[in-house]
Formats: sequence, structure tokens, C-alpha cells
Amino acid sequence: MAVDKQAGGVARGPDEAAGRPASARRSGRETAEMILAKYGVLIAFVVMIVVFSIARSGSFPTWENAKSILTAAAPMFVIAGGLTVILVMQDFDLSFGAVIGLAAGAAVALMANDGWSWPMALIAALLFGIAAGAVNGFLISYLGGPSFLITLAMGTVLTGVEFALTDQKTIFSGVARGYTDIGQNSFLGLNNMVWIAAVIAVILWALLDRTEVGRYMYAIGGNPEAARLAGIRTRFLRLLGFVVVGLAAAVVGVLISSQSGAYSPSPGLSFLLPAFAAAFLGSAVFRPGEFNIPGTVIGVLFLGVIQTGLTMLNLETYVINLVQGGVLISAVLLSRLGQRVS
Amino acid sequence: MTTTSLPRPVEVATGHEPFLVMRDLVKRYPGVLALDHFGGAIRAGVVLGLLGKNGAGKSTVIKVLAGALKPDSGEILIDGEPIAIHGPHHATQLGIAVVHQELADVPNLSVAENVKLGLGYPTKARIFVDRKGLRRKTRDTLEMLGAGLDPDALVSSLSIAQRRLVMLARGLAANARLLILDEPTASLTDAEIDHLHGIVRMLQERDVSVVYITHRLDEIFEITDHVAVMRDGRVVHSGRTEELTKQGLIEHITGSAEAAPERRERRVTSQTVGDEELLRVEGLTQPDIVEDASFSLRRGELLGIAGLLGAGRSELVRLIYGADPYASGGIFMHGREVAIGSPRDALRAGIVLLPEDRRLQGNIVDFSVRKNITLPNLARHRTRGPLPVPHNGREREYARSVIERLDIKVANEEHPLRHLSGGNQQKVVLAKWLDSGADIFIFDEPTHGVDVDGKEETYRLMEELALAGKGVIFISSEFTELVGACNRVIVMREGRLVGELEGEAVSDAALVERCYAA
Repeated sequence: MAVDKQAGGVARGPDEAAGRPASARRSGRETAEMILAKYGVLIAFVVMIVVFSIARSGSFPTWENAKSILTAAAPMFVIAGGLTVILVMQDFDLSFGAVIGLAAGAAVALMANDGWSWPMALIAALLFGIAAGAVNGFLISYLGGPSFLITLAMGTVLTGVEFALTDQKTIFSGVARGYTDIGQNSFLGLNNMVWIAAVIAVILWALLDRTEVGRYMYAIGGNPEAARLAGIRTRFLRLLGFVVVGLAAAVVGVLISSQSGAYSPSPGLSFLLPAFAAAFLGSAVFRPGEFNIPGTVIGVLFLGVIQTGLTMLNLETYVINLVQGGVLISAVLLSRLGQRVS
Repeated sequence: MTTTSLPRPVEVATGHEPFLVMRDLVKRYPGVLALDHFGGAIRAGVVLGLLGKNGAGKSTVIKVLAGALKPDSGEILIDGEPIAIHGPHHATQLGIAVVHQELADVPNLSVAENVKLGLGYPTKARIFVDRKGLRRKTRDTLEMLGAGLDPDALVSSLSIAQRRLVMLARGLAANARLLILDEPTASLTDAEIDHLHGIVRMLQERDVSVVYITHRLDEIFEITDHVAVMRDGRVVHSGRTEELTKQGLIEHITGSAEAAPERRERRVTSQTVGDEELLRVEGLTQPDIVEDASFSLRRGELLGIAGLLGAGRSELVRLIYGADPYASGGIFMHGREVAIGSPRDALRAGIVLLPEDRRLQGNIVDFSVRKNITLPNLARHRTRGPLPVPHNGREREYARSVIERLDIKVANEEHPLRHLSGGNQQKVVLAKWLDSGADIFIFDEPTHGVDVDGKEETYRLMEELALAGKGVIFISSEFTELVGACNRVIVMREGRLVGELEGEAVSDAALVERCYAA
């Protein structure tokens, strides 16, 4: 996240002081850094696709494989997109993994154990997500709690609620057909989840890039005090951000439980690192140093491609771990570079 | 260098050799000459009063001696040896201790731990802190100060005045040969001040030199042997205190004894000011920050708020703007009380604040100039339709018109703000609020870091707002610009309103007299 915003501003050459654009004179090295910062992740993304396509020409560059990558990436995008909204405001959420589990557990348990109809169970799951986000937001934005610790603790609380609802038992029967259709059926050749993720992507992009609320959110991220003094409701908007993440996590809970038609305890934990990673990768594309939804889309696809490609190469698990971790670290450093240069 | 007169060194005539000599010190900041061939000598056992208006260069001198700032040129001699002060620690080793005006303590440590911080704690077996020894030594120092403070108390539990005493104790505990006291008596009670003066005299007998900076002129006459008055980075007067009168001292500080620069012609006068009261503040209080502030602002007025740094001017207007909470008192707009709990409330009531620090409070440096300008009024640039969607084209058009109107130097409105010079960034702050339709405009140090032309533009802009029937509040540390623009000035000192001047009574000398408690 942008901790050293000041540093970039202090180094001011004579050109800028006179109000002339900095880009007017740039050394070769700076140009190279600029290109690397702006397109590094995109270049790596393309290179990766080419490499996998050559190495596994029979299975990787196929429509079937593309579809399966997209389907797997859909729930990941939903949560990474929601996360992008609060990262824009320099906030942080570690509880969404637990919200995913809570939503999945609530929906499935209410249908299977309590006989709720699937639309009611679905709505209840989404309300759980909204409520969790609102509590996070209230504790952090209005009461001033540190987001790192509050969301970590809230995650534990929410997992407790999840286990209370499900008895911490795997549930694989009693899930309504209508519910499983959501994650299992296709529309125009693509899994429903891909379409849902696409719609959410457009909504979040419009929110951040096209509305006053989005402008204000970026303003809060850039300088919360200046935003507050400009009359922006900074506390409310930060709370709203947490609600967006909560709702996004609940949607993911619904998607994964409908896709599998079952619930097993704590299904959300595996989303934690990749969701952050995708958003940070995304902050290194298109608008270096700034979290943005198109960037996050690329970030999610990037991770999906690596995951699938490395698996297809039949590499050992430890190699996959090494490569994935290394790529993430490089990408995050790239995004910092972008911040310095821009 | 274009100095017309040679800087006079601080002549201090006692029998001793000077402990410390400064020669031809020059420190230049972009656009400002903070030290202009400053020179002076400080002898052992002498209390020297250092005076001057805000920005005269006092703090630069202190920073140089404290090792916090390196001069561009010139030399410092200690006991006749030229010496380069490498840093604060080195300054302490050389026998120079500074008690800064701002609290520089560590709130989560105890009084004793703060007093000996960085001076070396007494130890047992060389590695463990000797708590008993530490406590005893601190108690001795505190007793010298006459401060009944518990060495074990956490500094965070103390009042501001008590924390000042801790800072003083730290200065004493350093066993320095030169003790620099920067506004040591601000917020102290009379009894504590008496104690402090006693200590200064005692140090004097031990041949310790003291540089004493204060805004209380009475203190200068009570405690100092010599005074040095600074203006524009130079010493303009130095001599024995007993040869001076209070009036003479004020003249040296303002420079009014010499040819005073021609006063700017005010456009806002008693003839142009209306009768209607726009804003009234009654007994506004936030303990330790602003105490019982009451004033009113009429339609068409350009009201100045004068005071030395730390007098509580910015703090007062931040309370009015809802940027900080206040404990008691009331704010009235058009005679009706308004509840202001946030900047949003203030904006709705028709008050805008152009904050003091443009980088930290005024602007978003990563945003483009356009996005900064439209931020407070974004809803005015919507596309048609029910949704709150900004119309970029319309925003751009508006930004361009304001950029032209204020003559902001930028190639185009999409440039990131960080690329603009300080003065132009300040103009962007103005640009944000220009068409906000508010009744009250509060400008907090709007000309800070702005060049001469830019300053004149800023005065004109404030005057135009006032002449258009708005109420304008203008905070400045430069008395001259308050005198040149304001029809009325209120003066703050230590969080209180201590004076008010109107019309022809607003003058440099009168402001200095009231800012420096006489």
C-alpha cells in the first residue's frame, strides 16, 4: 500500500517546479522503469501463456481449458474485486475468509437442517455478509480500531458463528436443486459464475471509476485528512467499503457451495492470500501504484493461469509453491516501482 | 550578497573569553534567506535574550546550534576552535542543550526516563538500568526546578505545563555549558516562572551561558543581560538589556525605527464593511488548546488573526470548521447557533477553511489538478440522469477556467498535483473553494511559501470576497500582511484572545506589542 507517497513528491526537478510535465525529459533508465512498472505484469502474463501453450500444446491452449480457468477464477475475482474497494481507501480486511465460510455454512445449513427454501437461505447468507462487513466497518471506521487486528479477531468470531450453525460437520445432502444450478449451470457456453463475476466486475468498476463515491474513495486513500476537510463523509465511506467486502465474500460463499452442492468447514481460508495477491498484482497494471478493478481482473486471471499451467506441467507441489510465491513477491515489488516512477 | 549594512555581531562584554562564536552563518531555503550572514558571540555566564518576529531566523539559529541543521556557509567556534556540529548527539557532547518550544518527550515513558533520555541512564553492572539511581538523580533535578513531580509518573498522564517542566529538567540534567531555552515559560504559572528564573540565575553563577527566547518582554528585562534582535535572518540590534526601554525594544523588533516599508493600501475599510453579523463565536474552549475564545465577524469584513507560532490560531479555526472537537462554547451563524461536529457540518452552515498545510491537509498530491479542484463540489459536475456520476468533460472545463482565473502554472489540468510548485499547490487549495457559495472563508497562512506576486494576488482575492459581502478570516504570521489587508485584527496568545485592533489602530508595532505579552 502507498506508504511513501510523500517520498515521491519531494523529489521535484526544475522541470516540474516550473509546471512543465516531468515526462518531457526522461532518461533511458527511467523510461525502462516506467515501461516495466506499467506493463511488467501484462508482459509476464503473456509470456506465461505462451510458455505454457508451447510446453503443453495439446491441453493448455484449448477452449475447454480456458473455460475451466475462467470458472475457477470467477469466485476469486468476486472477493478480490470487493477487496480492491477497501484497498483503494488504504483499509485492510482479513476476515473475508471467515465470511465466505459463514455464508456457505449458513446457506447450506438453513436449507439442509432447517428446511428453508433456497432463495430465503441465499438471502440470509448475503445478509450475514453485509452484517459482518457493517460490524467490521463500525469498529474500525467509527470506533477507530486497527483494521488488521479487528478483522483478524472478527474472522475468529465469524468462524465461531459458522460452526454454531453447522456443528462443524460436512453437509452434502439436502441442498436444493435450484441452489446448485447457480454454480453448476452454464449460459452461452460459460458457467453462470463467470457471468456473475463479470457483472460484479462491471458494477465495481463503475462504482470506483465512474461515480462520485468512487472518486471520494480514491481521495480517502490519497489523503484522508484532506478528504475529510473537503467535506467527504470519510467514516461512512470506509464503513461502506467493509460492507462491500462482506457482501462479496458472502456471494463467494454462495457460489462455491452451490458449485459443490455441499458444505465443508472453513472453505474460505484458501482465498485469503490469492485475493490479496490478485489485487496487488492488479495495482501494478494499467495505473501503477493504484488499486483498480481492471487490474484486479488481470491479477486474478494471472494467478489462475499460473496455477493451471504449473499443474499441467506435472511439477512437484514444492516447485509450484516456490514459483507462485516468487511471482507474487516480484509483482508486488513491481507495483511499488510503479508508485515511485509515476 | 546584497546586504547593505554589515551585520553587527552580538557584542557581549564580560571578562570571559566567548564560549561560542558564530561567524557569517548563511542558510538559504528556496526563496528565503533564513540566515543572512548571522554572527554572534556568547560568553560564559551570560543570559542572552534572542528576539524577533516569526520568521526572523531565531529557530534557524537554534537548529544550527542544536546540530539539527547545517548552515550553507559560515563557521562556529567553540573555545576558539572551529567546529562542525554533526548532529543533536554531538551538540550535547559539545555542551549545548536545547529545550525546544514544542514538546519533544516520549509520553509512554516515565518522568525520570524522559529526563535522562539520551543522556545516558545510570547503570548497575554496566548493563542494567539503575532505577533507584535514576529516580534519585531525577528527583534532584526536579527539586531544583521546584516541580513537585513524581519521577515514576508516566509523562502521558501529565498536563502540558508539567510536560514542559520535564523538558526543562532534561535541559538542566544535560549539565550543559550553553542552555538554549525556546519559549520555556509558555503555559507555566507565575510561581513556576519565578523558579525558572532563579535557576537561570544560579546557572549563570556557575558560568553556564543561556540563550533565552520568550515572547514576554517583561521577562527579557527581568532575566537577560544582553539582547540580540533579529530581522530577516540578520542581527539588527544587540546590546545590554539595561540600556533599552520596552518601547525601544519593540521598535527594534518591528524595524519601525528605521524606514518602514510603505503600507499597502487597504481596500476593505470601515466604509465597505456591513453591519450584519455573519459569524459569532462564544466562549469556544478545548482545554490546553483554545481557551474561552469569543469574537464576531460582520458581512464584508476581512478579519486578521495574529499571534506567534503556537498561539492557537490554526487550532481555533479548526474548532470552528469542525476539524477538531471542542469541549464547550458555541458557534452562531446569522445569529442562530449551529451544531458543528465535522467539516461537513461547517460546509453546510456556509463556512469553508483553507487549511494551513497544503500537502497534508489541503490537497491530494496523487490526484490530478482537475480532481483536486472539483473534489468539494463534485456533485455540481454530474452527467445528466439520476446517478451521481461526474461528467469529466464538464469538470475539465471548470478546472480550466479556474486555472486561468488564478493563473495556476500547469501545462494542463490532468497533471498530478505533486508536480506543481508550492505556490501553485496553494492556489489549487484556493481554487477548490472559490465557487463554494459559502458565507465565511477562513484562510490559514495562505501566503506561506508563495512569492511576492502570488501574495498580492491572494490579498486581492480575499479582498474581493469581502467586498462581495462575504466574511473573511485571514491567519498570518507576517504582521505586515495583516496590517496591509485587514480592517480588523484579533490577537491570540497561548490559546486566548488577548487583543483586538481596528482600522488605523492596526499597525505592525501594535501587533508586536500585543503578541509579545508586555
